[in-house]
Amino acid sequence: MSLVVQVIVTGLAAGGVYGLVAVGHSLIYRLTGIVYFAFGDLVAFAVFVTLLVAAGTAPVSQTSLAPGRFLLALFVALAACIGLGAATYVLFIEPYLLRGSTLGWVAATLAIAFALRGMIGATFTRPAYVFPDPIPFDRIGHGGLVTIAGASVQVRSFFVIALAAALAALAAWALERTRYGRALQAIASDVEGARFVGLPVEGLVALTFGVVGGLAALAAVAAAPTAPFSVDTGTLLGLKGLVAALIVRFGSPWAAFCAGLGVGLAEAAIDNLRIGDFGLGPQYGEVLPLAFALGLIAYRSLRSDAAFGRA
Amino acid sequence: MSTTVVGQTGSALAAAGREIRAGWTLRTTLAMLAIAAALIAPGVLPLSGRMPDLAAFVYLAVAAVGLAYAVGLAGIPSLGQGVFLGVGAFTEAIARAKGGWPLVPSLLLAVVAAAAAGGLTGLATGRLRGAFVAASTWILSWIVVLTLTSFPGLSGGAQGLVLPEATVFGRTLTPTAHYELGIVLLALAIVAFAVIARRAPGLALAAAREQPNPALGLGVPVARLRLGAFAASAAIAGLAGALGVELAQVADPSGYGPVLSFKLFVAVIVGGARMPLGPVAGLLVISVFSHAAEQIGGLRGLPPGRLEEMLTGYGLLLVLGLGGIGLLPAARGWWDTRRGSSPDAAPPTHVEPLASVEGARPLAARGLSKRFESLVALDELDLDLTPGTVHALVGPNGSGKTTALRALSGEQRPDSGSIVLGDDPLGPATQRARARRGVVGTQQTTAIFPDLTVLEHALVGAGLRRRRSGPFRTLFRTPQARAEEANAERRALGALELVGLLEDRGRPANELSAHRQRLLMLASALATQPRVLLLDEPAAGASSTELDRLVSLLQALRGKGLALLLIEHNLRFVRRVADQVTVLEAGRRIASGTLDEVAADENVRAAYLGRRSF
Repeated sequence: MSLVVQVIVTGLAAGGVYGLVAVGHSLIYRLTGIVYFAFGDLVAFAVFVTLLVAAGTAPVSQTSLAPGRFLLALFVALAACIGLGAATYVLFIEPYLLRGSTLGWVAATLAIAFALRGMIGATFTRPAYVFPDPIPFDRIGHGGLVTIAGASVQVRSFFVIALAAALAALAAWALERTRYGRALQAIASDVEGARFVGLPVEGLVALTFGVVGGLAALAAVAAAPTAPFSVDTGTLLGLKGLVAALIVRFGSPWAAFCAGLGVGLAEAAIDNLRIGDFGLGPQYGEVLPLAFALGLIAYRSLRSDAAFGRA
Repeated sequence: MSTTVVGQTGSALAAAGREIRAGWTLRTTLAMLAIAAALIAPGVLPLSGRMPDLAAFVYLAVAAVGLAYAVGLAGIPSLGQGVFLGVGAFTEAIARAKGGWPLVPSLLLAVVAAAAAGGLTGLATGRLRGAFVAASTWILSWIVVLTLTSFPGLSGGAQGLVLPEATVFGRTLTPTAHYELGIVLLALAIVAFAVIARRAPGLALAAAREQPNPALGLGVPVARLRLGAFAASAAIAGLAGALGVELAQVADPSGYGPVLSFKLFVAVIVGGARMPLGPVAGLLVISVFSHAAEQIGGLRGLPPGRLEEMLTGYGLLLVLGLGGIGLLPAARGWWDTRRGSSPDAAPPTHVEPLASVEGARPLAARGLSKRFESLVALDELDLDLTPGTVHALVGPNGSGKTTALRALSGEQRPDSGSIVLGDDPLGPATQRARARRGVVGTQQTTAIFPDLTVLEHALVGAGLRRRRSGPFRTLFRTPQARAEEANAERRALGALELVGLLEDRGRPANELSAHRQRLLMLASALATQPRVLLLDEPAAGASSTELDRLVSLLQALRGKGLALLLIEHNLRFVRRVADQVTVLEAGRRIASGTLDEVAADENVRAAYLGRRSF
């Protein structure tokens, strides 16, 4: 029982971040028809900019941080993330989209991913970084841990889950209720129509590339102190978010978010749960959800009766 | 007897020699010189210390050229080439290190394993659109690397798998021997790419890459060709991976991850996926970036490889940002504009006028019905197409004309009803099976293959009748394949002559006017040697002179014994060509007969002619 609680809490906390990445992947796919392979690396970029501004590249202890400087860091990181997301779209992706070149945008998004990875790796040269915690969770419970139904879980996990759910709700709300969101819906359903009624399509799409990155980055920053953060953590975030988005076929923000939660839960359960003597263990946790998604895609492809061009 | 055989062999060799001389160009000479120079380089230049690196690079280039079969020929954005290299490498390593197999059988096993992995991946992703193929193969790359790091036992633990020394006829394979072997394989892979790309299988793949649906309509086996291209691409990677692991003598799982797949993909794109030498050029560009990164990183005292990803990424973004997908195509375009290239203007010697239909058969449809949710598109439609007649299908917009055509051509299956050609029920036959029996349709929208020339376009249609010129026979230039190619070209030229596009045969199809693009679609359909031809609004956008020419064209086709179905709005045009008219309204046939009979029909007047006059 205690293990189940622990799996649920850690799974939902990890899944919340995947879910926000999945929301971003879905939105981008529905706006442009592309898969943004650099998404996870853009999120990692924002996390590392936060770290750079808040604490520099030196090793940090978890508590040596002034809240004011952290907020500044977060602000700088979000601005940089939005700017960079928009710039990469305008410079490298849109030209190939306009030419209808699938091969072009796949190559461009991957090149962006590796350029970002390299940029981070050249600045932060150690394999992984412990992330400072701006909110003093360690003062709650026993050094940041509370015991629920016999399981000791990090207080931060609840904060991450709540924040991620709030951000997903914000995204869903903004998409339905704001002018910006309705403009995005118009673009997703009919680009030419949106252009015809005078929407600045290119600008809105470019902005969205940054905004979804920033949204996911907020959750990633909140979750980052849980475990050491590295460049690969970011890339894997992007990958798992993509898997979640693929499972729900780039569906609505809520569907994508829930799929992300599901991937997180599945990972935690595979890592930790044992049924009798049978348990898979942590080496299966990352691989199996990916394999499941791949199998699902193959199944849908083979079952579909459309000749070509279906998801 | 034996002298006859010798004589025949001699004349065959002489003919082959003549053909080689006729096809020998400056490019062939340059290619031969380049291969020779690459082969003798280790003996002349002081390279002995660099041989292992050079050999490894050449094997990587082989894998990159292999990837171009999937990316360039078939247009599949595969991000999994690293996986197939890894499958080849680990099959080889396990067979040799654990199974104790000799070199050659284990190489064969590695190629088969990689081809099977590629075939399975191709099968699973074959019907997905590009974005999903890229995502799935990318996920596959990550699955492999995560599995190998999570289960180190699979790949021989921390040391990796160590291979015994490779020997061929008792002699050890040195790095120099690997290099020479690699150069030969690279040359073969490049030549094979060039041969396939410009001939029937390559043209069919190009058509399917641009526009899968019209390609299906011409009977191109799109799924099978794509699968073949993907499997071939994986097989080549498997061979390169297996030989690479023989060269390194140790299989290290960390090398076959997403980074390798990314590098190979970008090499192909940057160099030019559709040019045989493109992948090699792209790989050279990437190597320049990574070497520069190594040097700079060394100066700054950074660990090796730290800057490599960054500079490679920046360099590629620079190339891609400048719009340079395809350095070689860009260079060639520049060269052509400087030199002022002229498409071949010499009159073709062999034009085969379109033959009359042999074994003409009527097509009879009975009780065709099709619903789209609550909308009834076709309601118990009967239709008869007789050889040597033109049957026009008319009716208001949305009356089900195009749905009827699609049901006949096999593009869309009707919910119920039967379609019989002669006494041969077409039932669930695919578009390709119908096209082979002689039932071919054209699309309502102009759907041409923009990358192909006019002649190549018609050759895609003529390719339907290939029997002995599949990819392998084409590759080995067997006499049957060459005879069939010549035959197909004669027929394609004949079809172009008939529609009046012979003079344009060397031009890119997308330079033609809209009406001529329609004629080109018609010519491609004619090149399949159809018995029954289904035309969706061929007169759309035609001027009055063009209309006159179209009338005589359709009359000529009728004279050759084709059964023609014509969907048409222009009733003046219908009056000039149609022997039979069927009027549809809301998916039902409301009248049928000659145009005058139909025009006199009460139902038709009520439904349709109240708004128009003949």
